[in-house]
Amino acid sequence: MEKVREFILDRLQKEYSFKEGTDIEKINYVEEGYMDSLGLIQFIGELEDEFDIEFSDEEMMEDSFRVVGSLIDLVTKKVGE
Amino acid sequence: MKLLFEQFIEASNENEDKMAIYCDGESKSYKEMRTFVCKYANYLSSRGVKRGDIIGIPLNNSIESVGLIMAVTALGAGLAPVNPTLNSKDLDIAFKAANVKHIIARKSFYKEVLKEDNNILLDYPGLKLCLDGKIEDIEIKETSKLKIDSFDKVLEMTDELPSLDKITGEETFILTLTSGSTGDPKPIILSQNNKNIRAKAHIEMYELTKNDKILAATPLYHSLAQRLVIMPLILGATAVILPRFTPKLWLDLVRKLEVTFSIAVSAQLAQVLKELKEAEEKTCPSLRLLVSSSALLDLEVKKELVNFLQCDFHEMYGTSECSTVTDINLKEAGQKLNSVGRPLKGVDIRILSDENEELPLGEIGEIAVKTPLICEGYLNKEDVFKKATINGYFKTGDLGKLDVDGYLTFSGRKKEIIITGGVNVYPKDIEDKVIKLEEVLEVAAFPYKDERLGEIVALAVVTEAAEKEITKKIRLFCAKNLADFQQPHKIFILDSLPKNTMGKLVKSKLNDWVKDKE
Repeated sequence: MEKVREFILDRLQKEYSFKEGTDIEKINYVEEGYMDSLGLIQFIGELEDEFDIEFSDEEMMEDSFRVVGSLIDLVTKKVGE
Repeated sequence: MKLLFEQFIEASNENEDKMAIYCDGESKSYKEMRTFVCKYANYLSSRGVKRGDIIGIPLNNSIESVGLIMAVTALGAGLAPVNPTLNSKDLDIAFKAANVKHIIARKSFYKEVLKEDNNILLDYPGLKLCLDGKIEDIEIKETSKLKIDSFDKVLEMTDELPSLDKITGEETFILTLTSGSTGDPKPIILSQNNKNIRAKAHIEMYELTKNDKILAATPLYHSLAQRLVIMPLILGATAVILPRFTPKLWLDLVRKLEVTFSIAVSAQLAQVLKELKEAEEKTCPSLRLLVSSSALLDLEVKKELVNFLQCDFHEMYGTSECSTVTDINLKEAGQKLNSVGRPLKGVDIRILSDENEELPLGEIGEIAVKTPLICEGYLNKEDVFKKATINGYFKTGDLGKLDVDGYLTFSGRKKEIIITGGVNVYPKDIEDKVIKLEEVLEVAAFPYKDERLGEIVALAVVTEAAEKEITKKIRLFCAKNLADFQQPHKIFILDSLPKNTMGKLVKSKLNDWVKDKE
């Protein structure tokens, strides 16, 4: 869990740090511009590669895929499977 | 000509309490910005940064980045700004091509680079400064000689004005890296004087004053955003920076800060229009003038956008080497709506044949430009720049034609390039990487039309491997080895690529070639 969290938070903050005091878990990183559609393609590939997992099209279409906390939960769950 | 730093200090002294800069909920008055910039300059100087030194920096949009841009002008040092999402190998190639001596970056950069190799940064003999967070969080092996300084030390410095005695304005100020990675980077040299006269030309053309609030919404590692922060800071106006672009964030910021002027890339404006159509609030009353750059906007998009925003609207054409070449005002253009406009003051355009002969009006050829805004050349590639210049006219690699009234129409690109969301992507950078996969027999990267981004990167791949598996493998490989803007959005697996009788790939046919596969 901690490794997944660290990887995702580091990756999302490659260009911009989350502002202090914000609820990181609830950030929609696409709507807030931390990741654009170009970055998202790369991000998905990096996650699949790093944790040896695969996302289904349905998972990637879910709004929750773009929210930091629920993405961490999803990846953690997949790693444990 | 007054130096950029002199103009900034004058503007600061005259407007001490005025907001100089705003970014992501934080602002600095001119007095605070002057203090900040001087501390930066004094710190860099105390750590051995000298006139002529180049600092490599993965640059994000922040007040610190702008502070640094202004600080190096006081020292006569230069910046080689790069996209922070480049991977460490590509950054290394880019920095070496730019003769980088010092590195300034955020914690995430150091963490990633040092994960792979603790010694990779030792090739750069100068300062290593970390802009954010605690450097204790960065793991450095005990055996490594690497030393990283914290940003806190900058804030402890004196804010005395640095001496400008040795600064002439001819120093290299920005090295723009046009080709990010595996391709052969051609660092474009922009001196302080270059940036100075470019800023002045745009201030004059768009009649900017100290009352303007000027928005930079493109990445600061690009020339456009650098201009959009330098102009206000030498004028005594307000620089407004958008840290991350989404159309909603853009509109919110324009309204909140009452932005009066901006130059955006056309792909951003197409997205802004879409957002405006869906939003309840349709106007931005403060906007006086909006300029679109990078690629021609669709006529309907332009008309609808102006209808909502009710501001003056211009389009411009230019290149990194030449800066802005032409400009057109939508209101005044009349029947010239497909044109990118007339040359700026002092700029002359010729249309050249493949034999470098001037073509008659109306004929399409390569756009060549003679301009006072021309860059100093390419670093370590003087011959390439010389070859691209004919009798003082720089050959842009773009195709176009001129009409009797001097209006230029852009017809396409001679050079191989994909422009996605305003960012230049070089197909070769992508092809050179993907061909390394053993299953890939042939590969071609090409521009694919996209409503939102103008163009996206598409890949045509010849392979004997199964389509699903190889597509996934290529995606993962690209995610790891290319920057975000280089990622292929579409991958077409083909039996062969279109070639001419000589067996040479004909890229212009690729879009038709992949049609069956869509």
